[in-house]
Amino acid sequence: MIRRSTPGDFAERLLGGPALWGGLAALTAFALGPFVWMLLTSLKNREELYATPLRYLPVHPTLENYIDAWTSPVTPFSRFFLNSLWVCSVTMVATTVVSVLAGYAIARFRFAGRDALLLIFLATQMFPSVLLIAPLLTQWRALGLIDTYQALIYSNFSFTVPFTVWMMVGYFSSIPRDLEESAMIDGCNQFGALCRVVLPLAAPGIAATAIFAFVVSWSELLFAISFTTETSMRTLSAGLLYMVGQYEVQWGPLSAGVILSTVPVAVLFTFLQRHLIHGLTAGAVKG
Amino acid sequence: MTTISLAGRRARPLISWRMRKLLVGYCYLAPAALCMLATVVVPIVLAIKMSLYNDVLYKPQDYRFIGLGNYVRLLEDPVFWLTLWNSIVWVFGSVVFQFVAGFAAALLLHQAFWGRALVRTLTLLPWIIPGVVVGLIWEWLYQPNYGVINDLLIKAGWMQERVAWLSSPDLAMPAVVFTNVWRGIPFFAIMLLAGLQAIPGELYEAAHVDGAGVLSRFWHITLPLLRPIIVVATATRIIWTFNYADLIFVMTGGGPANATQITSTYTLMQAYSSLDFGYAGALSVVLLLVMLAFTAAYLRITRGVEEVG
Repeated sequence: MIRRSTPGDFAERLLGGPALWGGLAALTAFALGPFVWMLLTSLKNREELYATPLRYLPVHPTLENYIDAWTSPVTPFSRFFLNSLWVCSVTMVATTVVSVLAGYAIARFRFAGRDALLLIFLATQMFPSVLLIAPLLTQWRALGLIDTYQALIYSNFSFTVPFTVWMMVGYFSSIPRDLEESAMIDGCNQFGALCRVVLPLAAPGIAATAIFAFVVSWSELLFAISFTTETSMRTLSAGLLYMVGQYEVQWGPLSAGVILSTVPVAVLFTFLQRHLIHGLTAGAVKG
Repeated sequence: MTTISLAGRRARPLISWRMRKLLVGYCYLAPAALCMLATVVVPIVLAIKMSLYNDVLYKPQDYRFIGLGNYVRLLEDPVFWLTLWNSIVWVFGSVVFQFVAGFAAALLLHQAFWGRALVRTLTLLPWIIPGVVVGLIWEWLYQPNYGVINDLLIKAGWMQERVAWLSSPDLAMPAVVFTNVWRGIPFFAIMLLAGLQAIPGELYEAAHVDGAGVLSRFWHITLPLLRPIIVVATATRIIWTFNYADLIFVMTGGGPANATQITSTYTLMQAYSSLDFGYAGALSVVLLLVMLAFTAAYLRITRGVEEVG
């Protein structure tokens, strides 16, 4: 078969070769450049950091910025890190349990107001956090929860739960009902069928949901700065902002802090990106 | 009268099987419903109530019911109208460029090449890191004296002298929008890539055999088949960007002179810095109404798309 040479063929060769590689190089450089610059900054000592003209590569790479940030008594980064780890872990576990139960109920039981409930979960996904700050602050003050982990964890539910429930409904709906029904005929009750049959099948989805909850609460800033006043209660995001507020901005330790806060989510994401992306796009792409 | 029956003495269950199933369902739903009630529903009601009071945290003696006073103040507040305009610039500037660059990125990442999985993961990084981190990284890149952006632009000969990007009223908005574009490209890339992967390859092969070039295949196959996901992704992104306050809050705090103040950061400032909860409540209610209008439009559009697609 002889194919006519269309003008498209030139574009095709271009797209297959130079344009593809050029585009990929530009894309990767644009996405990673700022991280690389921050990493280089964090490895420079004070002199090199504020040198004129600008010095791009650290001549004497040093880890002193990391040590400074981690052990500083004024802005105790290690403490911020542990606070974030605790708040996000508890949020993750609680969100997962709550959304597995609710997602299962919505996917499996027919009840009045089911569609309305789903709509509420969808609409609350779009709520701005800023809208909740003043009323939540009033509420947590009335309950004496300012400067507690609980206030941060409960507040995180406002944005994790609506999304994860929606994700779980999708996962459970894709698991055939027959499996549970046969388990129930064999003598399992509803809860037993959920634990023994459905949960193992939904495990990848549950993992994605959990990671999602962890990553979004790791990024949370506005609640953390509004509901804590003590330095020792700050999370990473709030702590980084607090480091900016101290005296003049210390870009050395701050860049080290930025790199340290990026690493955990980047690692989690790399390992689980396939599941996570599937979970996030499942609702939007059919099939 | 005694009727003896061997088979029929099964005790009727206290609640019927159907009822029991329903009850179990409600029990499973209860924790999620409670979470939403305590962290979303009650606060919204509280915000509406706050908006009707003069409620400034450090002036408890002035606390009183003022009806629609805060809303009247809102209508007369030139900064509020400015923030609405800034929000439009911020949302459309961000979403249009994120979409175009994200689409290009998705088309690139859809091609087969060596090391694709690694490149995909790396290019998604800007999207998953915390907003504060994004803000601080770019603050450092934009820094007038030691920032690499000024340095590169001067070395390339495009600029004569150093520019204070974030403290210049004309440049601050483009600078924060550019940062948000950097952050949001991966979102569109992921969504559109998932869409591209769902298009059957035979369609392209058939078009190829018929002599359709790259552009015509893109125009007649790729675009129409991606339409539903383009609509959903764009609508979600518009709503999300309108609400998003972290980046601007970290980078400029709405300044200089409110040049980058959008409605959501203005609400945040009223609650967080001015501690004027009454006014913040009124702003929240307005945000909520805008949000509901957006969401209703979104549901209408996506429903329409599903019926067509």
